[in-house]
Amino acid sequence: MEKLISHILFIGSGVALTLQLLIGGLSMGLLLGGLFSILRYKKIATPLINRFVSVLRGTPVILQLSFIYFSTPGLVGIKLSILEAGILTFGLNSSAYIAEILRSGIESLPKGQFEASKTLQISSFYMWKDIILPQVTRNVLPSLVSEVIALLKETALIATIGGMDILRKSQTLGAEQFTYFLPLCIAGCYYYSLVLFIEYLGKKMEQRGSYA
Amino acid sequence: MLKIQNVFKKFGEIEVLKNITLEFSSNKIIGLAGPSGSGKSTLLRCLQKLEPIDSGVIECTEKTGFMFQDFQLFPHMTVLQNLTYAPTLQRKTKDTVPEALALLKTLGLKHKETVYPNKLSGGQKQRVALARSLMMHPQILLCDEPTSGLDVATVMDIVSLLKSVKDLGVTMIIASHDLDFLTKIADQIILLKNGEIVLNTDLQTLKEDPIQCLKKYY
Repeated sequence: MEKLISHILFIGSGVALTLQLLIGGLSMGLLLGGLFSILRYKKIATPLINRFVSVLRGTPVILQLSFIYFSTPGLVGIKLSILEAGILTFGLNSSAYIAEILRSGIESLPKGQFEASKTLQISSFYMWKDIILPQVTRNVLPSLVSEVIALLKETALIATIGGMDILRKSQTLGAEQFTYFLPLCIAGCYYYSLVLFIEYLGKKMEQRGSYA
Repeated sequence: MLKIQNVFKKFGEIEVLKNITLEFSSNKIIGLAGPSGSGKSTLLRCLQKLEPIDSGVIECTEKTGFMFQDFQLFPHMTVLQNLTYAPTLQRKTKDTVPEALALLKTLGLKHKETVYPNKLSGGQKQRVALARSLMMHPQILLCDEPTSGLDVATVMDIVSLLKSVKDLGVTMIIASHDLDFLTKIADQIILLKNGEIVLNTDLQTLKEDPIQCLKKYY
């Protein structure tokens, strides 16, 4: 029992990195994804954004992570830490998916909502902030929650560049103990618990955002 | 003053407005009649600058408001928020709430301020849309098919409401295919057919039954 608790605590110490990557990557993804979708709607730099989104969705995340971590020192002379490289990679990658999710949400909104804002002399900034994006976010919330869950699972790739997250901690423990079954089961429980928590938050947000 | 001269508008190859020239007098209710596809809604949308015109001039020195056929209330905002959001931004003050509540009371929506639009009936939505437009203090109100999809009793309500709006000094231009409604409310009728004006007359000058008289032009 004592051994099990010490295993749980050891692997649990990787949760901090996983959460940092998730929150950092998601914040960046939402910000950039939102910006990309607004720029595309306004037909600003559309071909460039489309290509960017296409490349990010069309190449493996592990390749993007390795590229950003190992190539940036040679390319731009900046050595990124594991955490910085992870947040940058997961942020850029999720921005591409979030931009697509928001695009479908914006396109599904009646054109009249934009026109009503215009006739009421609401400026573009407030129209997007208070009229369009709240409605779009509500409509695409289930897809956004799926993206957050996918992002959480992708953060496990940080182990490939040496990040001591939940997965890497369990692998380390497995190598030390010569048995992987228990450490990997514990890692799985951590991931699944986080997924259940995200789903719970998503449901709460859906309820809060309903117009009834 | 609202004046349009030689306005043309095309959607692709289809000419929707052909050489429209009009001058709208103040404090009148002007009915834009005509069959479906005659260009009534497009003319209104051009007046509100929701559609660019291909050629011609639209001169407007007064503040316009617009009521959409499908209301376009903001579904994530309550009735009160729908009414106060834009004027609060514009006037940079939160004093818009008493005015909105008074307007809701006048329009028979006294206890609906905390309700979301999806809980309102068609007639109630129409009244909220009217109130939202009036909160912006327009001098000219453009209404696109305000009675579409409403029952007879609600249409009668809308008639009296719009007449009371006129009493506030607001000029109204109402596009509708419902001649019965238009002849009940309008001072002047402009009849469009295939994008052209085929009749522009004061309703009082029509000697015989106005509906029959207007139908001759369809």
